[in-house]
Amino acid sequence: MGTRQRIVVAGGSLAGHSAVTELVGLVPEAEIVWVTGEPHKTYSKPALSKEFMQARNELAELTLPDVAGDRPRGLRILRGRSCVSLDASGRAVTLDDGERIDFDQLLVATGAAARMPGMLRGVDGVFPLRTLDDAVAIRARLADRPKVAVVGGGLIGCELAASVRAFGLDVTIVERLDTLLDRPFGGALGSYFLDLHRANGVELVMGAMVERVALEEGRVAGVHLADGTEIAAGLVLVGAGSEPCTQWLDGSGLQVGDGVLCDAHLATSSPGIFAAGDVARWTNPIYGLRMRVEHWTNASAQGRAAARNMVALATGRQDLRKAFADVPYFWSDQYGQKIQMVGWHEGHDRVELDRSGDVPGPLARFYRNGRLIAAAGVNAPRVVMRLRRQIEDEARAAEAA
Amino acid sequence: MKIIVDRQRCDGNGVCMGIAPEVFDVDDDLYLHVAETIPEDPELRARVRQSITSCPILALKLVEE
Repeated sequence: MGTRQRIVVAGGSLAGHSAVTELVGLVPEAEIVWVTGEPHKTYSKPALSKEFMQARNELAELTLPDVAGDRPRGLRILRGRSCVSLDASGRAVTLDDGERIDFDQLLVATGAAARMPGMLRGVDGVFPLRTLDDAVAIRARLADRPKVAVVGGGLIGCELAASVRAFGLDVTIVERLDTLLDRPFGGALGSYFLDLHRANGVELVMGAMVERVALEEGRVAGVHLADGTEIAAGLVLVGAGSEPCTQWLDGSGLQVGDGVLCDAHLATSSPGIFAAGDVARWTNPIYGLRMRVEHWTNASAQGRAAARNMVALATGRQDLRKAFADVPYFWSDQYGQKIQMVGWHEGHDRVELDRSGDVPGPLARFYRNGRLIAAAGVNAPRVVMRLRRQIEDEARAAEAA
Repeated sequence: MKIIVDRQRCDGNGVCMGIAPEVFDVDDDLYLHVAETIPEDPELRARVRQSITSCPILALKLVEE
């Protein structure tokens, strides 16, 4: 390899886009190879289940601006190609077409993929929602105005149900637990979500397991539940969570455990290799915990932070080196309600629920050992964002004490 | 530096507000207020640019003057 530093960024979604943008600005003299995986330009994933699904916007409106305008000199974009293996000690990745690319530094930003239970795989009319191609396929099927069954009452499932109801279609959500959005919102707003979906005409089947799909002429006709109930549906949408895309790192020597393990600076177990976005499990100094966050704001900020730490390591510019200390934030839109969550609720020992009317919607505060660690609110962005800053302030105070 | 908000698109997610609260404020009607003038502070301006590229519905545009 020549004297010119080569950085490979694996992953073309937001964390990769954000990192490449930062790298092009900070080290224009470096050679940057961006292996995007998907064939599309970087697009907004949060919009897929909401604005895009409701046909309120189109692909062009989801596409992020090109990195640094058009074509910076040192940037090579390999669109639609994926990394299939990593040789960490040999400092090289191999692509799906067999090309081997040596690197000085690597950013792993390969994201996560939709989890699909075995009995739902490969059935015509059954779709997960993770990528643009998934969303386009679902939208095309909605045009036939089918009855819709949604498997899983998590974020994707609930947002899809709300979007489908906007077209006036019949929707049934089948959820394993007795409450909706249990994990993302720490169970605190469960009854609010049940009421919200019922009031908007969604049929809820709670505490139920899907056993198999019903087929008719090779296409899905519904789902059979473990208790024998059959729900008729011409379209089945699956929101069964996601898994970090780390299979390509098997045997690489990189430490992986439900995501690529990273320190507070997003550095992996192998020097010069960093990770960011949905695939990264890093130590968040705000909580002193390792976590993996699958949300838009995290991918954006983490891609940028990882890039800066990589440049700091390569050039010795200590002003760029910074631990990634962040209070996670995500939102959901359902039936015109803005639902927001800040912080990390796992390990909370107390929840305070405020429905006093002082705030526009229900508001939950999560505490651990008396310290505010998370908050969830409906239609109260100012309060929620103030609580986000409070979480950060309390964490810094606790660290200083 | 001037920020243009596409009001048809903006739906008050508050991502920008999280990154640069000095400049962006989403009120409880989910209306985004943007500061009229943005101070010459380079650190703040870098965060404002980051806010704009971080908007999940691409509702913000920047005009550098």
